[in-house]
Amino acid sequence: MVGESRFEWWAKHLAIAAIAILILLPVYWMVNMSFKDKAEFIARPPTIVAQAPTLDNYYDLLVTQKFYRYGINSLEIAIIAATLAVTVGTMAAYALARFRLPKNFHYHLLFTALTVRMFPPVVTIIPIYALYTTRIFGFRLVDTQIGVGLAHGFVEIPLVIWMMIGFFRDIPRDMEEAALVDGDSRFAVLRKIAIPLAAPGLAATFILVFISSWNEFLMALILTQSKAQTLPIAVAGQITQYDIRYGNMMAAGVVTTVPVLVLALLAQRHLTRGLALGGVTG
Amino acid sequence: MATIGTSLETEERELEPRDAMAASGGIPWWERNLAWLLVAPTIVLLIVFAIVPTIMLVRFAFSQVLLQRGGIKTVGVGFDNFARALQDPLVHDAVGITLRWVVVVTTLEVLLGLGLALLLAGNVRGRGIFASLLIIPIIMPPVAVSVAWLFAYDYTFGIFNYLLEQVGLAPVRWLSDPAIALYSMMAVDVWQATPFVFLLLYAAILSLPRDPYEAAAIDGAGRWHVFRTVTLPLLGPVLLVVVLLRFIDAARAFDKIYVMTRGGPGTSAYTMTLTIYNEAFAKFDFGYASALSFLFQIVMIVVGTIYVKRALADYSAPAE
Repeated sequence: MVGESRFEWWAKHLAIAAIAILILLPVYWMVNMSFKDKAEFIARPPTIVAQAPTLDNYYDLLVTQKFYRYGINSLEIAIIAATLAVTVGTMAAYALARFRLPKNFHYHLLFTALTVRMFPPVVTIIPIYALYTTRIFGFRLVDTQIGVGLAHGFVEIPLVIWMMIGFFRDIPRDMEEAALVDGDSRFAVLRKIAIPLAAPGLAATFILVFISSWNEFLMALILTQSKAQTLPIAVAGQITQYDIRYGNMMAAGVVTTVPVLVLALLAQRHLTRGLALGGVTG
Repeated sequence: MATIGTSLETEERELEPRDAMAASGGIPWWERNLAWLLVAPTIVLLIVFAIVPTIMLVRFAFSQVLLQRGGIKTVGVGFDNFARALQDPLVHDAVGITLRWVVVVTTLEVLLGLGLALLLAGNVRGRGIFASLLIIPIIMPPVAVSVAWLFAYDYTFGIFNYLLEQVGLAPVRWLSDPAIALYSMMAVDVWQATPFVFLLLYAAILSLPRDPYEAAAIDGAGRWHVFRTVTLPLLGPVLLVVVLLRFIDAARAFDKIYVMTRGGPGTSAYTMTLTIYNEAFAKFDFGYASALSFLFQIVMIVVGTIYVKRALADYSAPAE
C-alpha cells in the first residue's frame, strides 16, 4: 500500500505473526501433549516442550487398543470412495467438457449434482441406512467398508465433476483434434490423450476426495457399527464423560491428522479450486 | 463462480466427430453414444443415492416406520409427524440453536476472514508461508480438532482455566455450563473455518483489477473510502458465495458438537442435525426424524439453490 509508515509496517507484521501463532497453537499443543507421560501431562505449570518425550500414548493407542484396525478401515474406505468418485466423475466431466449433448442437459446435470451436494447429509442418511440394512441379493451394506466407501464416493462426485471440467478445459484441444483426424476413436482420445494430460489434476482430485472421506463423520458414524468403523468414529468413541484418557486422545488426534496433512501438501496447488466445494463437509 | 476457483467461462467448441464415417454407419454404437455412456454412471448413482432416498424420505415422513428383522415396514399416519414437529419444544429449541449457531459463526468467520485477507493482501513478507500454514486447520479432521479443544477446555487440566487462574480469575465451565457450552464450540468452528474464508477471499482479492485502485489513488481517496467504493463492490459476488457456503456448512453443524458434548449439557447444543440424528438413531423413530429432515431439507434447498445458481453463473456448455 502507498504511504505506509515504518510503524505501520511493523504493527502489521506483528499482528500477522500473532495471528499465525494463535491459529497454530492448538495444533502444537496437541502434538506436544501427545508425547508426555502421565505425570508431565498434569504438571503445573505445563511444560512448553515435552521434557521426557515418550511414545507410550501412541503405543497404547495403536497397539494395545488396536487402533491400527480403524486406521486400515479408514484407508480402505477412503481409497474406495476416491476411486469411485474420480472414475465416475471424470467420465461425466469429459462428456460435459467435450461432447455435444441436448440443449440444457449440461446445465441441468451440473445443477442437480451440485444441489445434491448441498443437502445436509443427515437428511438422506436415514433412507440410505434403511437401504443398507435391507438384504439385497443376500448381502447387507451396513457396517461394510464398501458400503461406507460408496456413500462417501457418491457425495464427492459433484466435486470431481466440477474440478475435472476445469482441468479438461485447460488442455489444448488441438492434440485431441489431431488424434481424431488420425482416425482414433473418441474413447481412444480420452484414454490416450485427455487422461494423461489431465493426470496432475486427476491426482489432486483423488487426494481431495480421499481427505474428505477420511475426515467424514456423520455417515461413517451411522453406517458402521464395529467391523468397518473408521478412525474418527473410534476416536470419538474413546470420549466418555467420566474417564477421558487425554494422553491417548492427543495421540489419536495426531494420528488422524498426519496422513491428511501429508496429502494436502501434495495437492496444495489445486486446493483452493477444490475448496470452493470441498469445504462443505461433515 | 465469479473469481473463485475454476473459471469455466471460456467459449467451447465441440470436437468434430468424423461425420462421413458416422453417416456410413462404420462407428460402433458405443462410440456413437459415448457421451451418454460417460454420464450414465453419474446418473445411476444420483438415482440410487439421491432420488430413491428422497422418495423414501417423503414416504417415511408420512408414516410410522417399524424396524423389524426382515426389513422396514411403514404404516401411513398422514400429517401426524408434521403436526408433532410443530408442537415439539425440542424442535423449537433446535431451530433457535441452529439459527444462533449459523448467524454467529458465519458472521465472525466472514468478518475475520475478510480482515485477514485485506491485511495480507498488502505488501507483506512471508505471506506465502502464512497462507500455507492456514491450510492445516482447514484440512484437519474435525475429530482431531474437537479432541484438541476438548482438552484445552477441560475444567481441571485445560490451558484456558490455567491461564485464568494465573491472572487471578475464577475457572470457567467451558463445556459443562449450558449457557456457555454452545459458544465455546462456536469458537472451535470459527478457529477451523476462518482460514477457509480467508483463503477464498485472499485469492479473490489478489485477482482484482488494478485500474480502479490507481484511479482512486490519483483522486487522493482515503483508505476507508477506497475499501467502501472499490474493494467491497468488486468483492461483492465472491463475498456472497462465501457467505452462502459458510451458511450451508454451518447449518449442518454436527461432528464437533457430537464429539465434544454429544449436544449437551442436556439438550442445550441440540442443533437441527443433532436433533434429527437423535430421533432417528437413538430413539429409532424414523418416521418422525424423516418429517423433521423433510422440513429441514426444504429450507436448505432454498439456500442451496441460490448458491448453485451463483456458482454456475459463469458456466457455459460447449457451443452448439
